[in-house]
Amino acid sequence: MFEKRYLASRLSASLLLLASVAVAAVSASSYLEMRYPDPDVDRVVPQEGFVHKRLSDYFDGIRDTPADTDVYIQEGAEPGGTVLILGGTHANEPAGVVAAVVLLERTEVRRGRLIIAPYANMMARTHTFPQDAHPQTFHFKTAAGTTRTFRYGSRTTNPVNEWPNPDIYIHPLSGQTMAGVERSNLNRTHPGVADGSITERLAYGFMELIRQEKVDLAVDLHEASPEYPVVDAMVADERGMELAAMVTMELEFEGIPMRLEPSPKNLRGLNHREWGENADVLAMLLETTNPSAGRFRGRTDEALILTGADKAYVKSAGLGRLYVPYESGAKPIADRVARHVTTVQLLADNLEYVREGKGVTLEGLPAYPELSGQGVGAFLSD
Amino acid sequence: MILTWVYWAITVLVIVLIVRSLYRETSLREQFVAVMVLVPLLLRVLFIK
Repeated sequence: MFEKRYLASRLSASLLLLASVAVAAVSASSYLEMRYPDPDVDRVVPQEGFVHKRLSDYFDGIRDTPADTDVYIQEGAEPGGTVLILGGTHANEPAGVVAAVVLLERTEVRRGRLIIAPYANMMARTHTFPQDAHPQTFHFKTAAGTTRTFRYGSRTTNPVNEWPNPDIYIHPLSGQTMAGVERSNLNRTHPGVADGSITERLAYGFMELIRQEKVDLAVDLHEASPEYPVVDAMVADERGMELAAMVTMELEFEGIPMRLEPSPKNLRGLNHREWGENADVLAMLLETTNPSAGRFRGRTDEALILTGADKAYVKSAGLGRLYVPYESGAKPIADRVARHVTTVQLLADNLEYVREGKGVTLEGLPAYPELSGQGVGAFLSD
Repeated sequence: MILTWVYWAITVLVIVLIVRSLYRETSLREQFVAVMVLVPLLLRVLFIK
């Protein structure tokens, strides 16, 4: 019936145009809520002793840009090495972000220094990926009954900050070609370019932080889909492999199975390759299992982010399509955060064995069974 | 950065052409299609999405 020509008129055009603007306005409000969230969203309460800095203190090229992000440093009473922790390189990998926040809110450094950047790519926190239907936020109840809210972002920088992407991204340092969207992916643009795109400059900022703070061990906290082979894994280059192997064995002893993956020499732009190539640092990347970002997932809501329970993944596990056990039918975020926190603790504990005099002692952190049993909220501040 | 503004100018041009076409269109269904296409372009041109 809509083909009837007499139905279309200047009046219908005007009404439809108004409707279009109204839909755009409602959508805009939702998108802008991600860009300018309530002050309580993504709030952190650093443990006493942390000094607040900005990444632009290390590289002026991102000052007053949306790429700039918070960096927290705590120095222990005894001299030792320096450990850097990054959360939120990919903002759609919530356990990485939340583990960095738990480390920030609980750690007391006895020896050495701990540097934490909980929201490494702030520009990835301001949007969700189109057509993925992810909720914009997820929540935890703390022990005192207050609610802590975190944004669920995207893998890449918001197109508002970096647009358009090229058809093919050529990694500036190596000349390696990748899909164009990887120019917006912080973990494909390392070690960064001082006068490059906004994401390349962000990567350069982290490289400068590592150089200027003389970081001994840098750990980037991630998550991966259950159907991706590099999951529940620690990735390290040849410099960090000895430490990574030690910690993998200790984790196995504690009943936390962890894959040990060598960083491919020919896969450039990733921090576990580029950081070690460009500074005297042991670089590691940790992956836990995140069904909420997987391609096989069904209903995508906050419950999936927090519990990792998904019928489609139960079926996938039955068909032998997953790289992690899924008998329980869930991957709770408390287990995933506990895995990250325990691994970081063990990496710091063992740093002394591979870098004499550079040990780092972290105290106050919950053990795996505590965090897994009591939930993340019990270890977040009010 | 220049490329961003080139793309922005292209987006503005496309919006103008769609609105022009909306008012010239004689099929209501095509008018519906035109305004649906308009929504993401409006968000993009305003640097909201």
